Amino acid sequence: MSTIETRSRVDATNLLMGIWGVLVFVFLFLPIAIILVYSFNNGRALLEWDGFGFGGYQAMLDNVTIHRSIVTSLQAAVGSALIATLLGMFAAIALVRRPGRWTLGFLAILFLVMVTPEIVDGISLLIWYVWLGGPFEAGLLRLWIGHSLFSTAVVTLIVRARLSGLDESLEEAAGDLYATPWKRFTEITLPLAMPAVLAGLLLSFSLSLDNTIISNFVSVAGTTPWPAYVFGSIRNILRPDIASTSTVLLLVTLAALAAVGYVLRRSGDSAENVAKTLTGV
Amino acid sequence: MAAARAEGVAGAKRWHLPRFALAAPAWVWFIAFFAIPVLWIVFYAIWGFKPDPFTRIAIGDPTLQNFRDALTSTFFKTFKGTLQISLLGTALCFLIGFPFAYWLAIKVSAKRRSILLALVIVPFWTNFLIRTIGWRILLQPEGPLASFLGSIGLLDGPLRILDTRAAVQLGVVYNYLPLMIFPLFVALDRLDPALREASKDLGAGGWTTFRQVTLPLAMPGVVAGLLLVFIPLTGDFITAAILGGAKGNMVGNMVFGRFLIAQNWAQGSAMAILLIAMIVGTLAVFAAIGLGIRTAIRRGRDVDLSVGVP
Amino acid sequence: MTEEFEGLKILASREAAQRITRRHFLAGSAVAVFSGSVLLAACGGGDKNALNIYNWAEYDDPAIFTRFTDEVGPATTVSIYDSNEQAVAKLESAEGTSGYDIVVPSDVYVGQLIELDLLEKMDKSKIPNFKNLEDQYKAQPFDPGNDYSVCKDWGSTGWIVDTSIVKEPINSWKDFQNAAMGVASGNMSVLDTPGYVAAIYAWGENLSWVTEDEAELDATEDFIVNKFAPHIKAFDSYPGINLAQGNYALSQIWNGDARGGLLSVDDPERYQWSIGKPVADLWMDNWCIVKGGPNVEAAHQWINFILDPDVSFQDMEYHGYHPGITGIQDRAEQAGLEHLDIIFFDDETVSGLQDNALNSGQARRVAIWEAAHAAAGA
Repeated sequence: MSTIETRSRVDATNLLMGIWGVLVFVFLFLPIAIILVYSFNNGRALLEWDGFGFGGYQAMLDNVTIHRSIVTSLQAAVGSALIATLLGMFAAIALVRRPGRWTLGFLAILFLVMVTPEIVDGISLLIWYVWLGGPFEAGLLRLWIGHSLFSTAVVTLIVRARLSGLDESLEEAAGDLYATPWKRFTEITLPLAMPAVLAGLLLSFSLSLDNTIISNFVSVAGTTPWPAYVFGSIRNILRPDIASTSTVLLLVTLAALAAVGYVLRRSGDSAENVAKTLTGV
Repeated sequence: MAAARAEGVAGAKRWHLPRFALAAPAWVWFIAFFAIPVLWIVFYAIWGFKPDPFTRIAIGDPTLQNFRDALTSTFFKTFKGTLQISLLGTALCFLIGFPFAYWLAIKVSAKRRSILLALVIVPFWTNFLIRTIGWRILLQPEGPLASFLGSIGLLDGPLRILDTRAAVQLGVVYNYLPLMIFPLFVALDRLDPALREASKDLGAGGWTTFRQVTLPLAMPGVVAGLLLVFIPLTGDFITAAILGGAKGNMVGNMVFGRFLIAQNWAQGSAMAILLIAMIVGTLAVFAAIGLGIRTAIRRGRDVDLSVGVP
Repeated sequence: MTEEFEGLKILASREAAQRITRRHFLAGSAVAVFSGSVLLAACGGGDKNALNIYNWAEYDDPAIFTRFTDEVGPATTVSIYDSNEQAVAKLESAEGTSGYDIVVPSDVYVGQLIELDLLEKMDKSKIPNFKNLEDQYKAQPFDPGNDYSVCKDWGSTGWIVDTSIVKEPINSWKDFQNAAMGVASGNMSVLDTPGYVAAIYAWGENLSWVTEDEAELDATEDFIVNKFAPHIKAFDSYPGINLAQGNYALSQIWNGDARGGLLSVDDPERYQWSIGKPVADLWMDNWCIVKGGPNVEAAHQWINFILDPDVSFQDMEYHGYHPGITGIQDRAEQAGLEHLDIIFFDDETVSGLQDNALNSGQARRVAIWEAAHAAAGA
């Protein structure tokens, strides 16, 4: 086969793949774009377009319940992401550096956590919280615990994947140079695992923001997160303020990511590393 | 090991933490807030029953009656439908996501790759429910998509996709596609391009290289993607509830209804356990099939990649 | 790929610590977001003067909550549920810790909540506006003394038809069934609540929709699951908003929702609403005070506030159901509200409407509803 023929076949493949890539992007963004457009729906019901206007945004600004739900979501996300990242990071380090007979049991419970449907988690947690009482009547604590379960498993697996690809020789070298285990941990292991830890942190944060079912079951009056609010509205009547709120949330998220990216870029990280951090790869 | 060495060199006695010490907090967390609560569900499924229409649950003698009650023909119908949707959905996610991930990881220039990757995650930053509602708006009989298709002459009359199984299929593929793309991307991105080049240098064509080098090396990513999509998809009921109308009944909906509408926690618990069993069972079947295929492929492969693969 | 390089970087350069590392920045922003949100929450509603309402979604005019805060004081939060069963389950599991002050259960579920000791007895001296309610909407069978509940609004069930698709007039539940299995097959919706799905058969035969008779329930199951369910396009409790989209040609619907739907379309003459014939139900949603709620005083203030004729009228305009206040029909007529025939019914019709009951047949009706879901989805 001549090089020219191979080349043009490769070019054709590249072109087709490029087109496929564009199509997938369109597919991914289609509903987002629609929500953005319908956030300007001036009608009473979200699904029914009734002219362009800012009714939805006005309703969003007036709706104290929505404000409170977003604040709750943010608070829950930060707390549960921190818990999940800490627990998961240490667990992953133990899994990779100190495996043993306990590993199988731990992986089994991780697997069970990921395989259990959220509805089971939600109901079982509610029963348990009520039985325990005391501090577990606080809405935020309930959300932190509930959201952190799946996230911890995810963080553990992500950090484990990264650490298992790394050489232990760097840590051994540090040990040879008389570093204490603590120093070895903070100066070698932790920085090496850091991209995965950050990825896990970000992923836990977004998983918590998106968590619907568990939130619905365990939440207490006044600490209902945003997805639980939307979920309640779905089986009733959807209003444009939901689309408006959603659009605002997305723009704020993008702005925050852009700001983070900008600072990281300025501090010397390459664009590629920045994007990799932000996307959790 | 290094600690032992340090001990030998410095001569000091050092207190060894048990091997699992670092994982202990996570252990405790899971036991306290996952295992024990779920055991309540198991407890209810076996020891619980519904005494009268007003009480959710009462505790009695252990029995498998709740499981028997849950395994009605209704359940089997829904079970079949759920498996159909989740298996087809997972397959579609793979067929759509793999070429995309390959393109992104290998064909796109390094500079643009990161931005595009960040773009893929942007929809993920919008709430799951909102994205699905977006599809509901799009797919309305006289909604935006219908107008568009009508204006270019592809559609005559209202769009009849909403409230059908097709809508649910579309919705789940959309919602779980990023979960397939990411592990695939990571796996393909980690691949050393030198391996593919070496393969080409040895005379293998593009497709052969893909089959014998790229795909096998990317397999951990493929497995991760399949799992990350199949497992939550099977337990999902929200997409079905929003897009499927009556046609989108999944096992998750049944569990939800049994707990909250019927208020029968004993049967609901039994159903929840059956749902978990369903997921685990399907995974076991596919793991067995996968192992079988892998052994067969390994025997037939010209290049043995099992050496040196992490 | 670059892991070894990064590792070397860390071993090599100390001045990396001078730069803002990813770790520090992200940790810092996490703290910022958290403290920011805590501040927001604090100035937003750390108020002791508050009221937590557990309600159906979009059931009351948001402007009314603002008006309540302006005129009376407490800041309100609304949490949502989408079925009576969900509300009861939530309150029962929480055993008083839910944090809600007010809940809005429908008729028989008030009885269930009373039995489960989840409701607070009302101090009627704090609710002088109680006198504004018409007598026939006080003293309901589930709470004869109005000790635990006060009527919020009441309504009934019927159907709405797209006459451009269903040309035959629908004058009874039997007609409804026939159209659903005929010209509107695969294009119709039913309410997503167990009792109402079973009622399609029961009311068609002019039986009680809460029957406990085994034979009747068997017949219901046979009809609904085997013959009727495959024609259902969706279980939808709020089909009114779908009118303009032409989602369904025929829908079982509650009156207020039908009115809302008609108000939203450009061609309301195309649609025909009717209350169920020969018979339908009378459901009543009620304001109740949750036991263990933190703001009992504010809860009483709210109930008194909402029973004021002005406030009640404003709310009715929003949700379209009869609030039970004396003289409200005249007022509505004077104000020239549209589709009044969908809110107000004549006495003869009202006296024929059936009440709900939670009895031994309930479990069977739920099973029928579930089986209908599965049969429709097959």
